[in-house]
Amino acid sequence: MTKLKLSLLFLSVMSLAIFVACSSEPETITKEVEVIKEVMVEAKSTLKTVQDRGTLKCGVNDNLTGFGVLTSGGTFEGFDIDYCKAVAAAILGDASKVEYVPLTASARFEALGSGEIDMLVRNTTWTASRDRDLANDFTATTFYDGQGMMVYADSGYKTIEDMAGATVCVLQGTTTELNLDDRFTSAGLDYTPLTFETNDPLQAAFEEKRCDGWTTDKSGLASKRAEFPASAGGPDSLVVLAETLSKEPLGPLTRDNDSNFYDVVQWVVFGLIQAEESGITSANVAAMAANPTDPGMARLLGVGFGDGKVSDFSFGVDPTFVQNAIAAVGNYGEIYERHLTPLGLTRSGSLNALWTNGGLIYAPPFR
Amino acid sequence: MDLFVNKLYIWSRSQKNRNLLIQFFFLIFISLFIYYLFTKAILLDMTLSHFDSRAGFGISHTFIIDYTSNDSRWVSYFTGVINTIRVCIVAILFATLLGTIMGVARLSKNILFSTISYLYVEILRNTPLLIQIIFWQIIFLKLPRISEALTFGNTVVISNRGILLPNASSGDNGNIWITIIIIAVILSLIVSYIINKKEDLEGKSIKLFNFKLNGNLLSILLFFTITITTYFILQKPFNLDLPSIYQNDKGTYLQSGGFEFTPEFGAILFALVMYTGTFITEIVRGSIQSLSKGQTEAAQALGLSNYQIMTLIVLPQALRSIIPPLTNQYLNLTKNSSLSVVIAYPELFMVSRTIMNNSGRALPVFFLILATYLSLSLVISIIMNMINRRVTRIGT
Repeated sequence: MTKLKLSLLFLSVMSLAIFVACSSEPETITKEVEVIKEVMVEAKSTLKTVQDRGTLKCGVNDNLTGFGVLTSGGTFEGFDIDYCKAVAAAILGDASKVEYVPLTASARFEALGSGEIDMLVRNTTWTASRDRDLANDFTATTFYDGQGMMVYADSGYKTIEDMAGATVCVLQGTTTELNLDDRFTSAGLDYTPLTFETNDPLQAAFEEKRCDGWTTDKSGLASKRAEFPASAGGPDSLVVLAETLSKEPLGPLTRDNDSNFYDVVQWVVFGLIQAEESGITSANVAAMAANPTDPGMARLLGVGFGDGKVSDFSFGVDPTFVQNAIAAVGNYGEIYERHLTPLGLTRSGSLNALWTNGGLIYAPPFR
Repeated sequence: MDLFVNKLYIWSRSQKNRNLLIQFFFLIFISLFIYYLFTKAILLDMTLSHFDSRAGFGISHTFIIDYTSNDSRWVSYFTGVINTIRVCIVAILFATLLGTIMGVARLSKNILFSTISYLYVEILRNTPLLIQIIFWQIIFLKLPRISEALTFGNTVVISNRGILLPNASSGDNGNIWITIIIIAVILSLIVSYIINKKEDLEGKSIKLFNFKLNGNLLSILLFFTITITTYFILQKPFNLDLPSIYQNDKGTYLQSGGFEFTPEFGAILFALVMYTGTFITEIVRGSIQSLSKGQTEAAQALGLSNYQIMTLIVLPQALRSIIPPLTNQYLNLTKNSSLSVVIAYPELFMVSRTIMNNSGRALPVFFLILATYLSLSLVISIIMNMINRRVTRIGT
């Protein structure tokens, strides 16, 4: 008798479920889901998530000296890492409240899209397909780079045309892989690509001369060249070819449809650039904030000029967010000096000089 | 109405009928659920239309398909699939061979053999496969550099860019030769089969002009006669493609000719063979040990040698319990081949990750990968099941 009751109960539950499912047509299900998606997106912007959580989750590189590397002391250091710290200082007031998530080149976009990280600062190039196809938004460019080719000095290569038939080591999931192919096939040159997932087996293959060339962003090449082991020839045995294969503007990214957080990250970067232009450093920022020399500086640092009101541009964070960022990591120039100058990447004459010095580093006005 | 209710009542008295009713409702429920998922899935843009666009990236190992970066992503994906199949087939063959040898060695009375086998299994079974792959890559990278490559009189070239072996490319009469060889093989097989069958039936050797005929010997003689006569008539069957290394005018070392065995292919092959071989060793050892001791004792009593015992008595019986676990290991091997992205061997998982990164649509590509691995595994399972049914036939 109980068996009959159980089966009747089961039957009734299933018929209820069937009725519920049947009642909504597929089209209405579509519309309902769309509405839910939009509501969800507006309700919980990343900025609010970060503020509620109390830490900023930053996707970074852990294997590129100068940009993002895990030091032997267990801390993350680099040009990109400093921008994570700046954003954390801006939003949360404390540069140490960052959770660093090291990612490989092929896994970085999945991590950002899935919500595993809040922002990605991992020497990522701004391209059209990444902006739309991958549903990301690129904030300000922090470093204007280009793709280069590194070869052994004794190979005698001077240009890409010399490298017909060569084997080239490249990382998977990067724009360099595609640019390499474009460059070689359009020039009608034969080549063999060796596509590795991470830099360590790639470097092992390059050291043993398994491949004739190593291609990645020129900043990455400078970094890898600087730490090339002496047992394999040391930095002097390598030379980076003069030709730049492509434009590689690097900068932090956020997800699509995340305007509030996007604006904060972008304007933190602009703030650091403007700070260098105005002569504000981490050393003198407190003094400058106490006594701003002009209204522009006052607006930048989030203080009142004279007896005037403090300008708040409704970022959703403390008006002194740029000030906090500068105090934590310094201005653009200081960050560059700290991490990239030791690699031999000189600023003067390059695209990364301030616009007043002929470069492309330019911040829109804080007004 | 009453009649209908009565009929329904009588119908529902049977347990079987009630079960059928519940299953019917369950089927409807499941179909509706799947339909609901499908409508939701369409929202997620589950199309593979982006596979038709230009690939734009190069692949280092292309086999059969002549792939260039101008081809569509479908072509690049199939190149990856072919690379996977290539590595899997070769690795399965060698892993089985190695596993069987090591399994038998483990049970040998010779202390050296059994210790080697024991160490082999314990060390390589307990190390992660990824570490072993990287280890073999480092080993292969330690081969001489291409500028100092070892050449053995222009026949074999060894360097850390690959081992080149002589290749046979079909000469002018290539097709004719292949047909003649196939005919010769079939003829010799037929001849040996007929003679052996006749001998078994009649229980005595066949005599021709008072000479005893040995079926196997005769078939081999026939094969060689046909081959040699064809050689005299047609001359060279194939052109020997000898490998060589030369430098082009810019100083780049290039390899030409021959059959190339790259370090990447070698690393993934050796790692898979060694790793899966340990599991196959244990399976073989287990099945041999599961045979009753009486079999070996009876065989020894009959005066069979150790080799005869192994090949005529033990292994044929042990084969019955080897096949299903062996299928498991083959499937594991196929799926483990996806680790080769670490050392730049472009098999299907690596190629699809590149496509995913370039196009951004991860979910449909993942379903495609799943479907491909599923098909590969099903093919292996079907073949192994056919073999299994064959060897477990009673009275074979």
